[in-house]
Amino acid sequence: MRQPGRYSGLTMCGGISGRTGPHSLPLARIKKIMKNSGEDVKMISGEAPIVFSKACEMFIEELTRRSWMTTLEGKRRTVHKDDVASAVVATGIFDFLVSLVSGSCCSEDITLVEIETLKS
Amino acid sequence: MDRSINMVDQEQDGMLPIANVGRIMKQILPPRAKISREAKQTMQECATEFLSFVTGEASDKCHKENRKTVNGDDICWALSALGFDNHAQATTRYLHKYREAERDKAAANNQNTAHIKSHGGLQVAQQNQTSNLEFRVLGKGDNSLVTKP
Repeated sequence: MRQPGRYSGLTMCGGISGRTGPHSLPLARIKKIMKNSGEDVKMISGEAPIVFSKACEMFIEELTRRSWMTTLEGKRRTVHKDDVASAVVATGIFDFLVSLVSGSCCSEDITLVEIETLKS
Repeated sequence: MDRSINMVDQEQDGMLPIANVGRIMKQILPPRAKISREAKQTMQECATEFLSFVTGEASDKCHKENRKTVNGDDICWALSALGFDNHAQATTRYLHKYREAERDKAAANNQNTAHIKSHGGLQVAQQNQTSNLEFRVLGKGDNSLVTKP
């Protein structure tokens, strides 16, 4: 079993369990996404993916919390895609995600492959 | 059928792993709460888009300041500029703690290296006395070759 890393004590909510190691998101994948985000992004410092792992974790936590509020309003205990979409639409700083969720807020049966086919 | 599976794999490769995303979601929700697969996928897409969005902003800043490397400070700045003030503050604190830890690690490594050098020199001097071999102890920056008799 992997032991908590040096930075596990630095996480804000009491620490993610040692099972995921010091970072809750893989640094190599974060770096890949950063590089894919634009042609201008050529060099990334070693600390950038580490900082982002924390920022992404906080983002997911916030969006999840807000989605859960919608779930509770619907008197349900399962978070659906529509709940995430509602949270995005209701929160100003998530405006950049509106187009991402608006196309997929209807049927839950649409798979990723089908969405890609529809887009093309 | 195979082609569609490959497309899905490639799509997944360019996003944050759904397992990690799902785990973070689960940890923030009450124990009995459930998350639909589609909700996790949507969150996965949103988090990936968040990453790209903030990176773009940070990268623009570097470009304007004629810098080539996006660093932790740029990301903290971008978070604040895009309205994620709470995240920016927490991330800045995290970044400073990380840098402190790295400095401590580097300082500890330097101390260990100095310790080895001083002890290594002592051992060579002792060997010189006992074996009568002609060695010159290399000083710092001294590139002279060791010669044997």
